Amino acid sequence: MASVKLTNVKKIYGSNDGTRNADQVVAVKDFNLEIKDKEFVVFVGPSGCGKSTTLRMIAGLEDISEGTVEIDGEVVNDLQPKDRNIAMVFQNYALYPHMTVYDNIAFSLRLQKLPEDVIFNKVTNAAEILGITDYLMRKPRALSGGQRQRVAIGRAMVRDSKVFLMDEPLSNLDAKLRNQMRAEIILLRQKLDTTFIYVTHDQTEAMTLGDRIVIMKDGYIMQVGTPTEVFEMPENLFVAEFIGAPKMNIMHTQLTREGGKYFVSPFGAKIEVDGIKGDMLAKAGAGTGEVILGVRPEHIALADAAAPNTIPVTLEVNEMMGSELHLHVYTEDGTRLIVRVPTMDLSTERRESLVQGTKLNITFSGKVMHFFDPESEKNLLT
Amino acid sequence: MSNSNNMPKRHMGLRTANTVSNVLIYILLVVICIVWLIPFIFILLQSFRVESTCQVGYVIPHTWGLKNYVNLLYSESSGLFGTAFSKWYLNTFIIALCTAVIQTVIVLCMSYALSRFRFKMRKALMQFMLILGFFPGMLTMIILYRVLKDLGLTQANAVPGLILVYVASSGMGYYVSKGFFDTIPKSLDEAARIDGATRAQVLWRIILPLAKPIVIYTVLTAFMAPWGDYVFASYISMGSTAGKNVAVGLYEWLSQDQIMNNYTMFCAGGVLVAIPVTVLFMCLQKYYVEGVTGGAVKG
Repeated sequence: MASVKLTNVKKIYGSNDGTRNADQVVAVKDFNLEIKDKEFVVFVGPSGCGKSTTLRMIAGLEDISEGTVEIDGEVVNDLQPKDRNIAMVFQNYALYPHMTVYDNIAFSLRLQKLPEDVIFNKVTNAAEILGITDYLMRKPRALSGGQRQRVAIGRAMVRDSKVFLMDEPLSNLDAKLRNQMRAEIILLRQKLDTTFIYVTHDQTEAMTLGDRIVIMKDGYIMQVGTPTEVFEMPENLFVAEFIGAPKMNIMHTQLTREGGKYFVSPFGAKIEVDGIKGDMLAKAGAGTGEVILGVRPEHIALADAAAPNTIPVTLEVNEMMGSELHLHVYTEDGTRLIVRVPTMDLSTERRESLVQGTKLNITFSGKVMHFFDPESEKNLLT
Repeated sequence: MSNSNNMPKRHMGLRTANTVSNVLIYILLVVICIVWLIPFIFILLQSFRVESTCQVGYVIPHTWGLKNYVNLLYSESSGLFGTAFSKWYLNTFIIALCTAVIQTVIVLCMSYALSRFRFKMRKALMQFMLILGFFPGMLTMIILYRVLKDLGLTQANAVPGLILVYVASSGMGYYVSKGFFDTIPKSLDEAARIDGATRAQVLWRIILPLAKPIVIYTVLTAFMAPWGDYVFASYISMGSTAGKNVAVGLYEWLSQDQIMNNYTMFCAGGVLVAIPVTVLFMCLQKYYVEGVTGGAVKG
């Protein structure tokens, strides 16, 4: 259990690792973050954003080019991984293939030269929590993916380390197992009650697991916040589009002010920015001009008939997801939008009428709009 | 019965063709085997021939006996294992064993370092060693002799000198094992290091158990080369009986003035030389094949 603090951390590949200097790549740029004791922080971002590199720098598997990493107040830049008192779970499990499950979990304890009976207690205890007691004498190759990942987690668990690092631990599992393991990680976290740093490219995992989410892109932190914060108040267009599935609809439009009220005019419709968002625009002193308007698919509704505040669209694809429909539509100028409608909200006839080529009218309220600066792509309201 | 009658004819035809080609292949293999084994059987038979010690015009001995083997290891003047052959055999064994141990350690450490660490000039070093390896070792013979002579490691002291020669460039034989190490995921090293292992513990407890075939391959090749070496051994031990290895010593028995007395003993010596290597191979052949192909295909 410990806090982790990263100050101006930078990772430059190609500077000191023997490869040619000409193609230096800066993988992590000026990373600043404080992770509190017992906090569950998720690094999320598309591949190549530097999230794994950052985690590996904390683990000590990569040199830190610039800046400092502190664990529990101690700068660990020059410490070997074994001296940092961390545990890590890898994407490909990284189980020792020549050892049984028991020996895999006991490996770190044996290196600490603990007595065998202590090791036995710790290993069986961990195995019980993870439900792998029956497999302790098997070799990893005789296990399924989910069981292997449990062993990997068990190996990390028995170390009683200060920080628990997980590098895309669920990416190699199939979708069903992933959901199950996700829930188990939440339970595990409650049992272990330690500091977790979790890397994933999957925003669902990030949203469901994290106390705080760090969204990264091209080596920069785009936003740090709780799942609610990053979902409801994305600081920039990247975060807005990255968090939430299906992703947020983006429309280039005009923001106008008439008589103290704000209006947007996407695709010929005129929609008032009412409620809290209107107040916030006024407070921020927004003027008239071009904006990027973002609306989440679940906030768009099907209108019964054409009206001044509706956008006429044509249905392209209707994805039946079970509890909801994902309607992929395009506007008259060809912009593609996604509308998410709960299946329950539609009558059977209405549902069956939604076929390719159907003309629809969609609308949304001002309360759910997000506004971004077309140049800087920053949220106008934060 | 009716079932087999209903079967399409070409099935039977295919099976027959397979049988025929199998039989032909086996005949060919047996012939090759016999041709290949003849010299060995010949040597083996000659080593048990006791009616004369010179070359004769027949293969099967008229009188069988172990006299040649006894003479190799025992003489009245020097006692059991006091003969020149015993000394050569021991020399060779010490050289081969030391070389096998030291060379294996060096090669495995070298391969691990080249496979796992990224340091400046790593690529250049590997290429440099590859190019160096193209030059035959014989080219260095004269200068090696000078150096060893100055160090006092020639003639009667040839054993440590030869170990030094065989071991000196062993780091250059990293290709096969480095190729094998490259196939072992790096995340295993990382997991072990996080689990608290040092680099040496990673190599010893994780990598080597997984690379067992290649370790055995390295030991075998490191043992074999000095065991059968003639050129370096003859050069460095020149002029001394005590410093010779078994290949050099035995070869001398084939010289004009000695062959009449020593020919059958030479054959017995050859058989004794083959025994440890054969035993080693028979014990380790399973791993050896795995090691050679494992490294080659994956590397």
